[in-house]
Amino acid sequence: MNRRAVVTGIGVVSPLGNSVKELWEGLLANRSGVRAMPEWFDHFGKNIANAPVSVDPVQVKQINRKVRRTMGNAALFSGLAAQEAVLSSGLDPALFTTGRVACVIGSTVGSASSMTDACTAEAEGRRDDLSACHFFRLMSHSSAFNVADMFGINGIQLAPCSACASGLQALGAAQELIRLGKADVVISGGSDETTSLVASSFQLLYALAERETPEPDKLARPFDANREGLVCAEGAGILVVEEYEHAKARGANILFELAGYATNCSGWHVSHSDEAQIANCMRTALADAGINAEDVDYVSAHATGTKVGDAAEAAAIRSVLGGNVPVSSLKGHLGHTLGASGALELAAVHGMMQHGVVLPTRNLEQVDDCSGILLPRQLMDHKVRVCIKNSIAFGGVNASLVCKAID
Amino acid sequence: MNRDAIVKAVNSIFIERFEFEEADLTPEKHILDDLGLDSLDIVDMIVGLQQKFGIMLRENKEIREVKTLGDVYALFEKLIAEHPELAEKL
Repeated sequence: MNRRAVVTGIGVVSPLGNSVKELWEGLLANRSGVRAMPEWFDHFGKNIANAPVSVDPVQVKQINRKVRRTMGNAALFSGLAAQEAVLSSGLDPALFTTGRVACVIGSTVGSASSMTDACTAEAEGRRDDLSACHFFRLMSHSSAFNVADMFGINGIQLAPCSACASGLQALGAAQELIRLGKADVVISGGSDETTSLVASSFQLLYALAERETPEPDKLARPFDANREGLVCAEGAGILVVEEYEHAKARGANILFELAGYATNCSGWHVSHSDEAQIANCMRTALADAGINAEDVDYVSAHATGTKVGDAAEAAAIRSVLGGNVPVSSLKGHLGHTLGASGALELAAVHGMMQHGVVLPTRNLEQVDDCSGILLPRQLMDHKVRVCIKNSIAFGGVNASLVCKAID
Repeated sequence: MNRDAIVKAVNSIFIERFEFEEADLTPEKHILDDLGLDSLDIVDMIVGLQQKFGIMLRENKEIREVKTLGDVYALFEKLIAEHPELAEKL
């Protein structure tokens, strides 16, 4: 019997709020989570834009200290998002200790701020002041093991670490674990946190929208002719991925199916998007789902607002799907939530499926080199049953996940 | 430095790092069995005590043998008797 992977719960920590409801309402109202960062002024010598999240310290304190002590911000975001996802899934907590539940969560690095703190302590000769827990905060699989420990999950633990494709690769791995019969439930997604150093890494490559402006919310403009680069953001998106029959047997509310998945890489350049390989990735994901290109209703694009990246993805979408499928990027609203983006943006995809609408790309005013695809500039009534979610990352990595509504 | 000041200084580590209330911290409490600290916490206890008293403890065998909170107080009474300058840092 073919095992199918479905989603039965979603949780988010995002620049527009720390619940799926707040995120959806913010997106629907066309709000932006981007603001100027005076707290980074000393680092940049100007007000750089960023989309930070804000967490409730009381809620944080409710996490067991022995788990919380090894959490950097990225793992903390994962933990809070996982709480919402698990609660909404209605999973019986007794399942977590059966060995049949996996935890697969990726991020660019375990905790960018903890890495900076460790390096600073070393440089300042304060190595002996570091907590025993510090290294656990910055390890690449920090989100995965911290969330596993929060819930007592003792099945497979994995942490794809592929920069901005981490979250979507995690969900792809979750789909494969379910299909292969290695798990019945996977708590899966991505997370990341921003620091001035993270933003600097993009600035160095001329990929950051770094202009100082009284309207920072206008800086992230995917697909727009006047795009200037990406705006960094942070957050987490965690999904409960479950085997279809398992979900059905317990009467779970099935949100959508992870029907097809593919990931590949360009094999030639670490930072240059590769149109042909993005297209190959999308085609392979569709083939994996057994879905034809003409049955795709919507593409949730990776597009971050960089000159080269957006144009390559637009061209790939055009070559796979033609020009009549609505496409949008949520990074105009949210900024680029890095390793979280693939999973976090799926929360919005579910909202679009539920409400029969396609969200527009915020700040998209004029299309130039990204033409030839359908880019709605306002909320569009449109039935979304099949969606392709793309993630494209440093290292030449591409990932595409085909999500399908359940009848 | 009197014992009360030492107790207060040691307890502050347990309050700040391990989120105990002052009332939980009595000398007979076993650090592992009663207070529930584990191996990572013990390292952090040592780091906290190092910072508080300004003394390197990583190679100190006695700190690694303490069982109760009272043992920690007693160790610092002894250390401060041997090195009165430690009290000045508090």
